[in-house]
Amino acid sequence: MPIWVRAEGTKTIAVLFDGLTSEFLVAGMDAMQADLESRGFTMLQAISNRDDNVQFEQVKSMIANKVDGIVIFHTDSNAVIPAIRAANEANVPMVHFNRPPAESDAYSVAVVADNRGITKTTVQYMVDKARASGRKYKAAILIGDLGDVNAIGRRDGFFDAVDPASDIIEVVARIPTEWNADKAFSGLTNALQANPDIDFLFASSDFMIPLIEQVLTPLDKWHPAGDPKHVMFGSFDGDSGAYAALESKHLDADGVQDLFFEAKASVDLILAMGKGDKPAKIFPDPGFAITQDNLMQERDRMWGYSQWKRKNG
Amino acid sequence: MTNLTEKLPSAGAVLFVQRPLWQRVLLSEYLVVLLCIVYFVAMIPIVPQIASLQTFQNILSDMLPLIVVALGQTVILIIAGVDLSMTAIIAMASVVGASVMTGTGGPLAGSPLATPAGILTMLGVGAAIGWFNGFCVAWLRMPPFMVTLATTMFFSGVAIWYVTLKSTTTSIANLPRSFVVIGQGKIYGIPHSLWVAIAVGVAIHLILTRTVFGRQLFAIGNNRVTSEVSGVPVARRVHMAFVISGLCAAIGSILYTGRLETGSPIIGANILLDIIGAAVIGGTSLSGGKGKVIWTVMGVLFLVLLDQSLKLMGLTLFMVFAIKGAVILAAAIADAARTRLSGR
Repeated sequence: MPIWVRAEGTKTIAVLFDGLTSEFLVAGMDAMQADLESRGFTMLQAISNRDDNVQFEQVKSMIANKVDGIVIFHTDSNAVIPAIRAANEANVPMVHFNRPPAESDAYSVAVVADNRGITKTTVQYMVDKARASGRKYKAAILIGDLGDVNAIGRRDGFFDAVDPASDIIEVVARIPTEWNADKAFSGLTNALQANPDIDFLFASSDFMIPLIEQVLTPLDKWHPAGDPKHVMFGSFDGDSGAYAALESKHLDADGVQDLFFEAKASVDLILAMGKGDKPAKIFPDPGFAITQDNLMQERDRMWGYSQWKRKNG
Repeated sequence: MTNLTEKLPSAGAVLFVQRPLWQRVLLSEYLVVLLCIVYFVAMIPIVPQIASLQTFQNILSDMLPLIVVALGQTVILIIAGVDLSMTAIIAMASVVGASVMTGTGGPLAGSPLATPAGILTMLGVGAAIGWFNGFCVAWLRMPPFMVTLATTMFFSGVAIWYVTLKSTTTSIANLPRSFVVIGQGKIYGIPHSLWVAIAVGVAIHLILTRTVFGRQLFAIGNNRVTSEVSGVPVARRVHMAFVISGLCAAIGSILYTGRLETGSPIIGANILLDIIGAAVIGGTSLSGGKGKVIWTVMGVLFLVLLDQSLKLMGLTLFMVFAIKGAVILAAAIADAARTRLSGR
């Protein structure tokens, strides 16, 4: 909302994202706006287009604008530290949405999904289904960029669930993707050439679902749950593509970052910090796993479902 | 309306033409100053915070690195060239310099030599890439647009790859405090980077106005062929101009990197249009042969003032892009009109 419509006496929160290039970020911005409007607050928005220097300048502008708090989704976890310092000097509370900054002496709070815990819950559902089937499985995991703490958390969560089930699940492929669709596509293709009987698959992010469908379809492996040729399939994020795949039963389980929880928690933390509280630097989003068994009950909490509803009426 | 006063021909007949007001304003050296004042006054009722001390400080600190880089671009525009590789030089210098200085596994971690070595490395990177650009343009006679576009793509990619060799994250942090203060430090509210920008500005002003080299740059921009025929070593001068541009980009990188306390391969990735736009808004001609340090400084001031006001207004990114793009386009059109009106 532009500055000239700011009402006298309301709180103003700046929401600074580095881009709106993914469904998650678009949904995050919308959730933040809805939450702030429901509280009668004003939101000032700025997008940095993945430029750390521009975002630093935006933070300083918002401080000059005397905002009551800043919610930020930064690009680089090191380069955001001067922005945190600037906010600290101006006594403006700063909360990081979904992505934590690097460790430093500057103070801010990050609302971060428990990537490891959510993934473990998601993959545990798949392991339990595998065990109930009474047979053995060959597994592959598509790993994100190992420079991203989220990717490392999801990888570790996968092995937390799979390692104790090594009697029935053998991990035959660990595919590095660097969060790149082309690398994911070629990596999965190669893994399936080397191990054509892979039938247990975990993708570290929902953006890989379309390319996984592209790889599995010509191999006659893209079948819904219940079909004898179904590949046990799990993923992470909670986007609209994941909901569609859950509804069509091609996806067995999806780890969901509770975006509505994160948006509300970000604002709650800003208000608490504004009153002088000093919460811990990491505020975890416990998230949840949405599966074939609880789809109807949990889908309203899934941010991708709201996007899917908007697209499909 | 035109008044024509004509002296009868004699030795040195002179024709005086009084231009209409709009042409005189357009051709005025103070046009950008006037625009800054008018815009600032117009913005006060809309965003009163624009007149606050904090905003003035923000404008100054945002201007300084951009001034340094835009001055390098000004030198290239004067010779009727363009340097599209400045953002890649900023990125490459940032990551290579940071890798030398970093306290996390850097070769000079903890050493008092870390900062001077890092700065020299960054200047070396800028000069080397500028040298390469200049070699291709001056001696291989390749178009500057093509050369610098290719080098920007190449070095942007190399900068990203380089970080993967030196860091487990996407940037190189833990830089020495003595380096960071160059981009961030202040004494009595005056940023250290101001002295760097003043030094670069004075140096380039002296080069352009007080040296034969500078005059030759203007001559080359006005007419390369005539310059060659007149005995100007055009290739050597063009080559040196690109080295100066590379050095300015490297100095800008020192300020940006210090400001963010991080060597990043995407630092400054989106400021190319700001760099060229600031020089053109200030009055440096895209056709060559015309440019001044003070014009570029005024151009940077206007662009940063515009940017700051749009940020304070909380407009969406798309509106900010559209407005800034329109302003830079208007500046380019004005430059073309000024070139025609001045009869060049």
